[in-house]
Amino acid sequence: MVDISTAPQSPPIPTDGPWAVRTRRFGEVSKQVLRNPTTVAGLVIIVLLLAVAFLAPLLTTPNVPDPYQMPRDWGTRDAPPGTPGHLLGTTSTGGDVLYGVLWGARTSLQLSVIVVSITVTVGVIVGSLAGFIGGRLDEILMRIVDVFLSIPELIFALAIAAVLGPSFTNIIFALSVVFWVKYARIIRGQIIHIKQNDYVDAARVTGDSKFRIYLKDVLPNSITPVMVQATLDMGGIVLTAATLSFIGLAQAGLAEWGVLVSDGQAGISAGKWWASTFPGMMVFLWALAFNLVGDGLRDVLDPRTEGR
Amino acid sequence: MTAAAPAAGGTDVIRSPLVASVEGLKVHFGTKGGRIHAVDGVSFDIRDGETLGLVGETGCGKSVTARSFLRLVQSPPGIYAGGRIRFWSSLARRTGADPVDLLSISQDDLLDIRGNRIAMIFQDPGKALNPALSIREQVAEVFYQHRSDDLLYGLADDPPLIIRRAAGQRARGLERLLLKLPPLRGHAAKLRSRVDVHVAEALAETQIANPRKIMDSYPHELSGGMKQRVMIAQALACNPDLLIADEPTTALDVTIQAKILELIRQLQHRHQTSVLYISHDLSLIRQTSDRVAVMYAGRIAEVGDSDAIFSDPLHPYTRGLLAAVPSASHKRGGLAAIEGNVPELVDPPPSCHFHTRCPFAVELCRSLDPELEMVNGHGVACFAHASAEHLGVMPEELPSFAKRTR
Repeated sequence: MVDISTAPQSPPIPTDGPWAVRTRRFGEVSKQVLRNPTTVAGLVIIVLLLAVAFLAPLLTTPNVPDPYQMPRDWGTRDAPPGTPGHLLGTTSTGGDVLYGVLWGARTSLQLSVIVVSITVTVGVIVGSLAGFIGGRLDEILMRIVDVFLSIPELIFALAIAAVLGPSFTNIIFALSVVFWVKYARIIRGQIIHIKQNDYVDAARVTGDSKFRIYLKDVLPNSITPVMVQATLDMGGIVLTAATLSFIGLAQAGLAEWGVLVSDGQAGISAGKWWASTFPGMMVFLWALAFNLVGDGLRDVLDPRTEGR
Repeated sequence: MTAAAPAAGGTDVIRSPLVASVEGLKVHFGTKGGRIHAVDGVSFDIRDGETLGLVGETGCGKSVTARSFLRLVQSPPGIYAGGRIRFWSSLARRTGADPVDLLSISQDDLLDIRGNRIAMIFQDPGKALNPALSIREQVAEVFYQHRSDDLLYGLADDPPLIIRRAAGQRARGLERLLLKLPPLRGHAAKLRSRVDVHVAEALAETQIANPRKIMDSYPHELSGGMKQRVMIAQALACNPDLLIADEPTTALDVTIQAKILELIRQLQHRHQTSVLYISHDLSLIRQTSDRVAVMYAGRIAEVGDSDAIFSDPLHPYTRGLLAAVPSASHKRGGLAAIEGNVPELVDPPPSCHFHTRCPFAVELCRSLDPELEMVNGHGVACFAHASAEHLGVMPEELPSFAKRTR
């Protein structure tokens, strides 16, 4: 640490007001994240996938009335890639693979954003109550979490979605029900750990109320593992959803990668590889990209934890 | 059991008014193995403007005692099993109002006292600052909590409610957004610059270099000494009546330690603050304190003026401690350690807690609690100084420093 009083005048840091301070900190974190080439690769893929998701309506003619439903062209079935009008070929039911791949990105983005928002919110609230208040409430909430965790994720989601009937909304619901427990656990553990820090006592000594201490001292210092997990789950959720829709739990004909893979799988042995391969690659890229970024974030934000 | 605090001691000393008075404080911890009597009937006074040093070895209950002032002991497992801590704020002393009992006042009143009337500095400045907030935000917090009226004074004739809420850091969600929009933006900016002035002043008082720049730093960008200065700035921002310093220099290196001690002393004089100084370091306590209370195993062994304690220690424990402090006149290897360890404090039977290690202990010490009694102007809890008549025993039954029993 340089002693400022004796050191020559250091170059002025552009610090003006709390906002500048915050952006500086954000800058520090992002600089570290960007130093890792695999994370950068992941970020590039994510940007491309997001671009695809956002630009899908411009790149293809949206299907009417429901653009999330694949357009059917019964005249050209099983067309190979390169067919005019069907750049990536068609499925055995005449669905345009390119359309499915592009709109599938949109579906996946919606799905992952919705599910992650719901699960993070619920998980953080439940975990915070358990960890911050503790005692009997902690016991009760964590036993509920244990019940949820005792059933394997995929099977649990599958059971819920199956009971509710095939629809994409039900998949979203099922995934939300399954995924929140992880966040509750993570945040609870973090909070119990952070709560013991001297600066929490220091805040109590300042006269802060409990809720204010939670908002100001406990939550901001506990949230990073949740951010990491949420990034990883952005990928994992799409993977799980693809699994569920592959088995047929989404409505047929939905522009979703799992549905598309499932449509194409019958033709693979007959050499009609395209209908499964392209959407499969998209799922792979999506999950890979978010995992790379999630791992990179973890290295920077919480260097002490290794993969869970 | 140690009963009431020692009555105002020597006749030659004029004592200043009380700031705080601890009376028979008991803090227990419930564990599976039984109740740990961490603080077992502690009494002492802190007077206006003085520094009271609370000294004892690790685990003797000095930190728990200090934390009890602000009810910081986690409960459960901590239980306030008895006693009271009366506190006279400067206002109460001026108006002659009754003191409050810090152990029984409401949570709201307590929040108002914390950081405002009683402040605390922690042992490790590295851990006592929130790593996610800038120094500005952390010091400003005290002003937001306790000085929101001052912040608003002269800002506008009739500040809008939302600005008033902002000055108390109660603005939430949508309100925060509104504060960034035109009609309120000017007010909010003025409020912020006022807070900045207060924060910079508080930091400047601790002689920290370049306070305006420090404000925009995060704790990890500062050295240990600088962090401790920030903590002191935060603690003294509201001019508290009592500052509790829990080993404030233990985590710092020796050169910084001297500077911080000097700083605390200066600020104490300027702010007219009483200080409760907790340490296990006798030489440090000797430097800083006007009066000293020696704690052993949850009880006060001896309390009195610093000079008296160090020149004429009465309790065998204090004598042992002083014999264990190295000084220039000691020859190599000449230090005397106190034999044995601090006893387990799980459901202790009535006895002098020091009897297991005391070279003079007799039967009486194992069966009865010595009370804190006044001898030569200072209080000591040892039967060697007690009167046999008062206890109703034969004089031969009392321990004597002339007679080692082990």
